[in-house]
Amino acid sequence: MPDERPARSRRGWLFATVAVAALGLGILAAQLWIRPAAVAKDASALLAITLPDTSGREQALGQWRGRVLVVNFWATWCAPCREEMPLFVRAQREMGAKGLQFVGIAVDDAAKVRAFADEIGLNYPALVGGYGAMELSKTLGNSIMALPFTVVVDRTGAVALTHLGPIKEAQLDAILRQLL
Amino acid sequence: MLLFIGVGASAADVKLLPPEQAFRFAARALDSRTVEARFTVADGYYLYRDKLRFAAEPQAVGLAAPALPPGKVKEDAFFGRVETFRDQVVVRLVLAGAQPGQAVTVRAESQGCADVGVCYPPNTQQVIVTLPAAGSPPGPLIEAHPQKKGWFN
Repeated sequence: MPDERPARSRRGWLFATVAVAALGLGILAAQLWIRPAAVAKDASALLAITLPDTSGREQALGQWRGRVLVVNFWATWCAPCREEMPLFVRAQREMGAKGLQFVGIAVDDAAKVRAFADEIGLNYPALVGGYGAMELSKTLGNSIMALPFTVVVDRTGAVALTHLGPIKEAQLDAILRQLL
Repeated sequence: MLLFIGVGASAADVKLLPPEQAFRFAARALDSRTVEARFTVADGYYLYRDKLRFAAEPQAVGLAAPALPPGKVKEDAFFGRVETFRDQVVVRLVLAGAQPGQAVTVRAESQGCADVGVCYPPNTQQVIVTLPAAGSPPGPLIEAHPQKKGWFN
């Protein structure tokens, strides 16, 4: 049947066109959804929250606006979180006077947080957040909502760095030296 | 190729799996009163033994506290002796009050970490298994989050 060929080939082209268009749309969608476009560049949502400290007193993160703020999401059940915290204690001690402020947001029980804070001599506020704190970290780039997750906010309230997993001392020192 | 630059996050998150893929939960009915629950733990990840919790609904199925297999002992500076599971954990859930043919929701809470140095908050997964009639063969393994096939396979 000679007249079937062109029809089949037209159908072939139609298929190819639809496939290419679909692939294009897929890539576009992936770009829109997966790209850090959804990740907040300014820390206003973070600076707007209020969480209780280990004594139950509400603390607004906005009180540290204007300082170089390092917000560390952690938990006592997260060994890699606990292991990096002495580094934060040291940085707070050495650079606090220059305008550096660490704040820990623990996804944990207040009693356990207090016990661990006492054990390592935590010298910065330990706030207690629940699942909402994890959701907040997601808007800052913690897409899989794991811990530790650290956000460095500059004096203007812009996010200077987000980091999932233990942060290296050299990386922390470099960004702090640049911002302070 | 340019289109793909920027997809994914910073270098720090080296292809970390979401918790339901790092710790894949599945269950199957062994007989009219027993369900086998299992976690398949991805390479490079581990689960905490004392954070595993199981529940079954409706409550009338009467899930007894399950016996967990021993884990690998690890000394933790803060918590002391902790046990962890890698590869696979299989737990038998005995439902003393279950009826043959009944549909049971099996819920598992787990918490674990990746060796690269991140931990996941407690995560809950669930499956619905249908208990076989007395004398019938075990039911199929039901995964909480079946792995999706890629476009090209």
